[in-house]
Amino acid sequence: MAISGSAKGILVLVALAVLALGLAGFITGAIGAAFFDRESFLPTPGVHLAPQEILGSEPGHELKEGGFDFVITNTILSSVVTSLVLILLFVGGTARMSVVPGRLQSLLESIVEALLGFVESVMGAGKGRGIFPLAATIFLFVAFNSWLALIPIYQSFGVIKDDKIYATFLRPAGTDLNMPLALALISFFVVEYLGFRAHGVGYLGEFIRFGQLLRGRILTGLIDLFVGVLEAVSHVVRVVSFTFRLFGNMTAGEILLLVTSFLVTFIFSVPFYGLELMVGLIQGVIFAALTVVFAAIAVAPHEGEEEH
Amino acid sequence: MALLDGLEKLGFHIPSLIVFLANFAILLAILYFFAYKRILAMLDQRSASIRESLSEADRVRQESTQAREELEAQLGETRRAGQQVLEEARQAAERFREEEQARARAEAEDFLRRARAQIEQERNQAIEQVREHFADLAITAAERVIDRSLDRDAHRDLIERALSESAEAQRN
Repeated sequence: MAISGSAKGILVLVALAVLALGLAGFITGAIGAAFFDRESFLPTPGVHLAPQEILGSEPGHELKEGGFDFVITNTILSSVVTSLVLILLFVGGTARMSVVPGRLQSLLESIVEALLGFVESVMGAGKGRGIFPLAATIFLFVAFNSWLALIPIYQSFGVIKDDKIYATFLRPAGTDLNMPLALALISFFVVEYLGFRAHGVGYLGEFIRFGQLLRGRILTGLIDLFVGVLEAVSHVVRVVSFTFRLFGNMTAGEILLLVTSFLVTFIFSVPFYGLELMVGLIQGVIFAALTVVFAAIAVAPHEGEEEH
Repeated sequence: MALLDGLEKLGFHIPSLIVFLANFAILLAILYFFAYKRILAMLDQRSASIRESLSEADRVRQESTQAREELEAQLGETRRAGQQVLEEARQAAERFREEEQARARAEAEDFLRRARAQIEQERNQAIEQVREHFADLAITAAERVIDRSLDRDAHRDLIERALSESAEAQRN
């Protein structure tokens, strides 16, 4: 009973602390400010769609439109940090492999095994090893980039101007249009490369369909030609949908966290952090899974083509 | 170029794009060569070794079963051979015993026969001697009684005849 009693005491304390934090959050947040008719303690959050320069001609400023200078933005820094974390984790964890694995090795092995299992479930057993490194890296990069940004201290340092953080040094790379676009382009080119490798020049027959027309069937020939054009467009649109799905989700997540912690400070935003953990995982899975699925479609035998 | 303007408002920036492409390519290369390859090799190695040990265990089990069967067969054979040896020994002993018994019996009979023959011979000798002495004794006694000398040879012949008659009568 003593243990249960002290546990109950701790529970009551935690509940009181949560209540106090909630109350304090309500009072200090923007809603509380409006309620009590006074100035908010927090600066109004600004939404910057473009990333900000950290090193370059104008630190702290948003990227100039149409600029062609190489500058280090906070999103680039974030993607480098994400890469370093992944490299440290994976290369460090696999530097000394043993048949009887330690904890870290076990964890990394199960991650790789799960990803490989997924890739092979789509591509067919034993055929997934070609696309696996790309899919796994996309998943890890997207997920870790998003998760790292949820560490509270991640966005606490930045360029200070007028006693305010004007631009944080680190900002999740998914909120920079260029990062999802880069991944989408890589995914696109790898998928098309796999298609050409599997079918040779015949892969173009997916998009340029004169076959029916040459056989004298005008109506079906025209329809087929149109289907080919649609197919080509759909491949290009994949890049757009890849890009804006990730960009939109990451940006929306950042804005959601910003707004919730502005409206009510402290613990109100905690559930949204949990939500963002899920969103990071899901976006990583979606990006990797769609790449694998598109690759599987690209290498699959076409209509009228024998299995080989 | 309204599209490009719109994209640039969202932050589209070619140098950044190149940096992200390079960053991802480097990350992919490093993870591929220094992590995935190792992990996949380890997974393959482990599954191969598990498969190998399973088949090894299977092989050992089969071998041990076979060895046990062989051992049992050998044991059965040995037992049979032992029983055979035992049987042979028993038969040999039996034969030996019978032979010995027969030999001993034959020896004893032989001994008995010889003893009997000797006894017979000695008896005959003794009878012969007694007969000789008896004849002399009878003549001497008769001489004493009649106090004169008798024709020794004639009397002896007479006595001999009487004795042999009596011996014959006795025998019959």
